Amino acid sequence: MSTAELEDRTSFSAVELLSSGDYDEPLIANGVRCHGGFDADGRYRSPRTLHRGPAIAAWQSRLADEGGALIELSPGLMPPQYPNVAQAKLLLQNGVRDPVVRALTIISIVEGFGAMIRDVQVPDLGEIFVEPIEGTALAHLEKGLFEAHARDESGYRDEGGHKQMWEAARDAALENPKIPGDVLMRLMGRRGRGGRPEPAFPEIGPELERMLGFMANVLVVEVFAEGTFQWGIDVLSDPAVSAAPDVAGGMVRNIQADEKPHVEYLRAALSEARARTIRTVDGKTIAGQQVVDGLLHRILRQMTKTRPNDQREDVREGLVEAMKAASNPARLLEEFDALDQDWTPPGKTGFEPAQDAA
Amino acid sequence: MNLATRARRTFKIGWTAAWVWSLYKVPAFGRRITGRPPRPESELSPTHARAANHILALALDLRGVMIKMCQAVATRSDMFPKEFIERLKQCHDAVPPKPFDVVRSVVEQELGKPLDAVFADFDEQPIASASLAQVHRAKLHDGREVAVKVQYPDIEDIMHTDLANMRRVCRIYEYFDPQPLALLPLLTELTTHLSYELDFVREADCAERVRDLFADDEHVKIPEMIREWSSTRVLVMELVSGMKITDKDALVAAGLDPANVLQDLMHIYVRMILAAGFFQADPHPGNLFVTPAGEVVVLDFGLSKELPDGFGLGLFELMFSLMTFNEQAMLRAFDELGFRSKSGDNSTFLAIARRMIDRSDTGSFEGEFTEDMTDELFEAIREDPVAEVPTDFVLVARVFSLLSGIGHTLGSRANVLQAMSGAPAS
Repeated sequence: MSTAELEDRTSFSAVELLSSGDYDEPLIANGVRCHGGFDADGRYRSPRTLHRGPAIAAWQSRLADEGGALIELSPGLMPPQYPNVAQAKLLLQNGVRDPVVRALTIISIVEGFGAMIRDVQVPDLGEIFVEPIEGTALAHLEKGLFEAHARDESGYRDEGGHKQMWEAARDAALENPKIPGDVLMRLMGRRGRGGRPEPAFPEIGPELERMLGFMANVLVVEVFAEGTFQWGIDVLSDPAVSAAPDVAGGMVRNIQADEKPHVEYLRAALSEARARTIRTVDGKTIAGQQVVDGLLHRILRQMTKTRPNDQREDVREGLVEAMKAASNPARLLEEFDALDQDWTPPGKTGFEPAQDAA
Repeated sequence: MNLATRARRTFKIGWTAAWVWSLYKVPAFGRRITGRPPRPESELSPTHARAANHILALALDLRGVMIKMCQAVATRSDMFPKEFIERLKQCHDAVPPKPFDVVRSVVEQELGKPLDAVFADFDEQPIASASLAQVHRAKLHDGREVAVKVQYPDIEDIMHTDLANMRRVCRIYEYFDPQPLALLPLLTELTTHLSYELDFVREADCAERVRDLFADDEHVKIPEMIREWSSTRVLVMELVSGMKITDKDALVAAGLDPANVLQDLMHIYVRMILAAGFFQADPHPGNLFVTPAGEVVVLDFGLSKELPDGFGLGLFELMFSLMTFNEQAMLRAFDELGFRSKSGDNSTFLAIARRMIDRSDTGSFEGEFTEDMTDELFEAIREDPVAEVPTDFVLVARVFSLLSGIGHTLGSRANVLQAMSGAPAS
């Protein structure tokens, strides 16, 4: 079936959305067979995109035809990576590896947790939305989209996914470094503060809010990950600090390519929900835009205000200790701080609740 | 303990061991001299059941350390047939309490003061009694309500006698049996665990360590240890009241969602085991409560365990790969954790990984790590020629099985993947 024919279709089976094309060469990362592969020209081809790519394009095109707008997250909202590229290189050049190894390991694990998307309960969306959902990304969430996303992130069966690819990039660049013992504590340690999140839209029911909230959260993470990819490429491709600049940098580029369908299907599905009307649990209706924007606003506010500080705090916590590996820790810390870049979160997220809905 | 008691215990242990040994060896000998092949494992089920019943009867008679031994055996489904596991796991350590005079005597001896000098009030009826100690409610002179855990006075003697007897039995068994089960290492492990459980100073240290770990987590409550009135045989701690974690009706009546409680419990254990590498290894329902505010209370740190460096990360990888259906990653995790096959190749573990993943990849799995799954793993291990299973792994698997059992009682399933991510219960 040609690409043009595929683009005319808006309904796909799960098998189609999970299918990959043929590769001339598999992707082997640090001895581990990973997903995706290379075509005859040596170009990397992402996994499970044979039908998924054209399908997403078709859904987005249909949304535009129906007058719906595709969600855009401003790049200005993206907090910078800490330590930044210059700081990470400085640390590595001075033999201080733990903060960078820790950061790369946490990135790999967080990528792997993307697999949780397959556990998201999808309520009966055909009943919930007033307008029909046939032939939309929303109608395919459970029919291949979530599963493909999960497999891409954590690997599946005999193929590694992004988790293993980040690990391979780290191990190739930094020559199988010892993983700091506190990695999991850093990852799990912040949970107790703040309690359970209160529902933002109790009128739509917990299941739908959970699903849309999860998707909005993943979309923001995926968009912000663009900065992480660039950071990874810049650090790991530099022969001054990386033992395998081509392999490690190339691996991060492959991951970056794989993430594009994730961002695009989530944008499509959330935009479709935004363009529709939701039936509330008490039999009334609410505009999808109010719900989706409300959830995105809440997540973006948290991710641009709280998270950068948390990340900074986490890195700083072990920094002084890690710098003892350097010959002159005090001077190194001074140099490190001098490379810091100020960043102020933008005042608006772009998804502020409308005055009448506030 | 007097000589007669010691002799009685020695005789009973020796007699049971001889009886169990003969259950297997007499028929085997008969078959050998009549030229018949040995009975296949599939025909041994009734024999296993009879042997387990004898051992269970001995434990219920002698109690104390024997009960602990049965509980230890019941956790080793990687070593013992399922008939042993099923019977011996019924061996609860709830025992009739000791008279109050005995308790008073231990407390006064340990604290070096009359009971009234330390406690304004001391309930003579225990709130719990087990094989090694019993717990009483009391009030300190400053008004604090406390729980006082008091060790039985003769328990250390009994432990030494019973362990020495069992060690002799194991040595004789290993001497006569051409392919013995590795019982002596199990006994050594049991000895270590019992010595931990009998040292209340260590228990207080462990409790405080876990309390510090969750100091900023409002979903967890670890009672404060009152060190000034504690010793190796008496442990005084803050009295925390709450609902039993398996009392679903009470949880619901208190406005709590059992699914959230279970998810919080899972997070507590995942954080202790995987992230901190140090955990309370006995999460049976008697040690877990929930306060009306929804905090999960963890009690009894006697059996707390420190994992080797890097083990938590290895376990994380194993559980993660299992729950994301990634057999290659699972294979690497088995290796990192110290699983070794006799043949030295990976085929055994690849088969186990595939079997586990085939089981979990059913579309309805949702990140649960169940008793069935650990049973499946150990069954696969027993069937395949796996030579080395890390002991720490067995203990951790038991913990997750117990948690899964609590989930079944509550009619909920915890999502381990969510717990590992640090995300709060929804």
